Amino acid sequence: MKEKISKKALREAGSSYLLLSPTLFVLLLFIIGPILFAVYLAFHKVELLGITSFEFVGFSNFEKILEDTRAKIALWNTVKYVIIVVPCQTLLALVLAATLNAGLKGEKFFRIVYFLPTLTSSAVLTLIFMWMYNQNGLINNVLKLFGFPTYNWLGDPDVALNAIMIMNIWSTAPFFMVIYLAALQDIPDSLYEAAELDGANTLQKFWYVTVPYLKPVTSFVVIMGLIGTFQLFDQSYIFSKGSGGPNNSTLTVVLLIYQYAFKNLGTMGYAAALAFALAIIILVATLLQRKFSKEESLY
Amino acid sequence: MSPKKWLATIGVTSVFFGSLLAGCGGENAEKKDGEGKQGEKVEVTLAGWGGNPTEQKLLQQTLDDFEAKHPNIDVKLEVISEQAQYMDVIKTRLIGGEGPDVFYLDAFEAPALIETGVLEPLDEYVTDDFDIDDFEKPLLDAFKGKDGKIYGFPKDYSTLALLYNKKMFKEAGVEVPKTWDELREVAKKLTKGTEVYGLGVNPELARLYHIAESKGGKVVTNNKASFADPKVVEALQPIVDMHLKDKSAAQPNEVGAGWGGEMFGQGKAAMVIEGNWAIPFLQDTFPNLEYGTAEVPTIDGKKATMAYTVAYVMNKDSNKKEAAWKLISYLTGKEGMKTWTSKGYALPTRKSVAAELGYDKDELRAPLVAGASYATVWQQGTNLPIIVNNFNNQFVSAFLGERPLAKALEEAQETANKEIESK
Amino acid sequence: MKKKFHIGKAILYTMLVLYAIVTLIPFLWALSSSFKNLEEIVSGTINFIPKDFTLDNYKQIFIEQEMFPRWLFNSLFIAVTVTLLNLLFNSMAGYVLARLSFPGKKTLFIIILAVLMIPAQVTMIPNYLILKQLGWLNSYQGMIVPVMINATFIFMMRQFFINFPKELEEAAALDGLSRFGIFFRIVLPLARPALAAQAIFVFMGSWNDFMRPLIILSDPAMFTLPLGLNTFKSQYISYWNYIMAASMVFTLPMLVIYVFFNRYFIKGISFTGGK
Repeated sequence: MKEKISKKALREAGSSYLLLSPTLFVLLLFIIGPILFAVYLAFHKVELLGITSFEFVGFSNFEKILEDTRAKIALWNTVKYVIIVVPCQTLLALVLAATLNAGLKGEKFFRIVYFLPTLTSSAVLTLIFMWMYNQNGLINNVLKLFGFPTYNWLGDPDVALNAIMIMNIWSTAPFFMVIYLAALQDIPDSLYEAAELDGANTLQKFWYVTVPYLKPVTSFVVIMGLIGTFQLFDQSYIFSKGSGGPNNSTLTVVLLIYQYAFKNLGTMGYAAALAFALAIIILVATLLQRKFSKEESLY
Repeated sequence: MSPKKWLATIGVTSVFFGSLLAGCGGENAEKKDGEGKQGEKVEVTLAGWGGNPTEQKLLQQTLDDFEAKHPNIDVKLEVISEQAQYMDVIKTRLIGGEGPDVFYLDAFEAPALIETGVLEPLDEYVTDDFDIDDFEKPLLDAFKGKDGKIYGFPKDYSTLALLYNKKMFKEAGVEVPKTWDELREVAKKLTKGTEVYGLGVNPELARLYHIAESKGGKVVTNNKASFADPKVVEALQPIVDMHLKDKSAAQPNEVGAGWGGEMFGQGKAAMVIEGNWAIPFLQDTFPNLEYGTAEVPTIDGKKATMAYTVAYVMNKDSNKKEAAWKLISYLTGKEGMKTWTSKGYALPTRKSVAAELGYDKDELRAPLVAGASYATVWQQGTNLPIIVNNFNNQFVSAFLGERPLAKALEEAQETANKEIESK
Repeated sequence: MKKKFHIGKAILYTMLVLYAIVTLIPFLWALSSSFKNLEEIVSGTINFIPKDFTLDNYKQIFIEQEMFPRWLFNSLFIAVTVTLLNLLFNSMAGYVLARLSFPGKKTLFIIILAVLMIPAQVTMIPNYLILKQLGWLNSYQGMIVPVMINATFIFMMRQFFINFPKELEEAAALDGLSRFGIFFRIVLPLARPALAAQAIFVFMGSWNDFMRPLIILSDPAMFTLPLGLNTFKSQYISYWNYIMAASMVFTLPMLVIYVFFNRYFIKGISFTGGK
């Protein structure tokens, strides 16, 4: 009996690894390989350009992070960003998807229109936002119209990060909306029928049937959201022309990593150390998320 | 189970990396023996960033002329299309030993790159008829290493000049300012609320360096930041005051413009301080704009402006150095430079070419050319990138009135120097 | 699935339309700008109908850029190949991680999650060195092989497969189908909505990718569209008229793909099991 089971297990393991082989190949060669190299860098003081040199420095690159005020500011900015953006974009994506899956008239049209922000290239988006956010731009004009105070959206550090947040939520929510749309197709009608028999209304069905069923996908959306926002780079790079200003208000961890990896020669090791510190923070955040959502099936 | 897998993973990758690092050295040596024989066709790679379509055509024309003269050399142009990331790409390719034979290098990046030893010193290649004394000296000096050797020859440059809107000046009844004090007064008269500002300001060190040092302070001392010096603060304070007190100056993004030239063209600034690049832009984009140029106003009677220059440099690992030199010497020689700068997209760094093309008498370009003799070249040691980054980050906050200038600069200086020390 | 929105249907539609305007305006603005000349775009006025309607921007891209057809081909070839490979490989891996049991499963899953957490900025140089060592710089395989799987979508597919009813597979196994048979004949067809979503994203990712080709490709004949058309941007002067036209040329194929795959997000086509 025991032998039989292990034979079956062996066969299953065999087919598993066969199905996984392309993944393992790419993962080892192009992903894990470079990461191990980065691990090596994190423990060295390196000069890769010209006369290359590697000097083992132990944990000193990691210790440096603790004294680096800019790293702390960058982390704080990033955390603020994550806390606001992730819930907003997840919720928006879920609501959009549920609405656009309800069999409304013109659903197809809305689905396409809502996806447009994700399709528009970031260079164009930036220009559009520069145009909307400027002192005499669309947003301030609308605010004026309703008697609200106007802002110097791009220049003022207090609002610059908010401006980026709004832009980010608006342009990434459709991405997750599509994933939810796909997931919604798999919910068996029988579940809704059962709920209807129990006298559930639309909102109750959404809350007690749809949301729980989407749990694994929500878990994906939240984790990807965490990773994406913790690694925010493009927008703050474009808005601050790479400096992270004004007064470090748009400095993010990855922008800092980029500055150390490419702008300053010879600080590649420190950049790698920062990258691993960030990865650990993201990991912790992911585990916390998992704890809160109490999803049993993640592993 | 899993520890074993980990071990295997690490094992495979480290073996792979070992071979990788070993392979790097081997391959270069091989190449050197194999290629570059006499009589055979040699292909030289040339990397630069993209310009506008007209500029690209000019470069192609110069290269075609070169190839016609040197039938056994083919020039392969590699355009690295994102200028902001140009150096990242070049550095990555150099690290991989796949760098181009000849490439553009901004003076700002030159000291740090020269120090790494990836560039070929060019002194040995220079012959008498290359006429090295013909170059504007400060521009050539920007590409000299600590060892006194020349690592690149400047292909073109631009200084800064004052651009002013003639119509607005007429309406306000003001004269073109000769000094910064005059400029400040004029700017007040030209400003119309938040619609039109007197002066468009780019609050970046690259554009303010000459002003920062105008009162005798130094921005960089011994390769470290020293811009918190009260004399530097005093020199920069008027710029901040113009924005906060007079409300007669603004940065382009406050009015929704991408840069000073655009702000000026849109009529949202009556004056901007920009370089030669703005002239063809305004011609193409705002053909009806009536504007003039003047030398940058003086501070305490002293003339000052900035100069930005880019050189052609040679990769030390190149295995076609002879051909690469032929290319550099043609592009920065009298003939090649004349073709390249003929349409006024860039100013020639050779005095003879400048005289021949007559830019010193050109109505719009004369003030730019005049600036060359007293300009500060945008370059200052190997740590300038760190210093600039911290300066820009904090200066903006003072410019926006978040905090006093002295405090902002002090903090920026401290952060910059901490970063430099821990490098 | 008939829904009855008795109350608030009007409110719902108003909100839908309002949000549609928010998403549509920037796109329409970019579209209209692609028919304007540079002067009109940078003048900063807010008008959606071009004053001087011009097709010059498109002409500049399609005709004056001799390499354009070549870039378009490169982009399409790479994007389509990458998408097909990803659909197959990510689904295989996602399925294995969701359903099968094998030694090292937990570790592998953690690794796949963990690699997503390392920012690409630090692995860029080692990645370049590996491609150089393989002699894959400036090549299609260099652009395709390293991205023929994607940890994000392996993770996504796993989350989808977890929800799938086990009963169907068990029944198929009883009918004597092998693991591979079950996967290709039963599971994949059921996963159409997820595959459609994945196809959209992988295609978009490849189509828009900028940093990787910027570093790997140095020969203009190998350039992809984003790289080639980016030459219109320079430090001081941005030819927004060309950029807008170019961005429309970029967007169109993605829009077509999206519209095409949207068919799979409709209830009834995909789901036949799960009682």
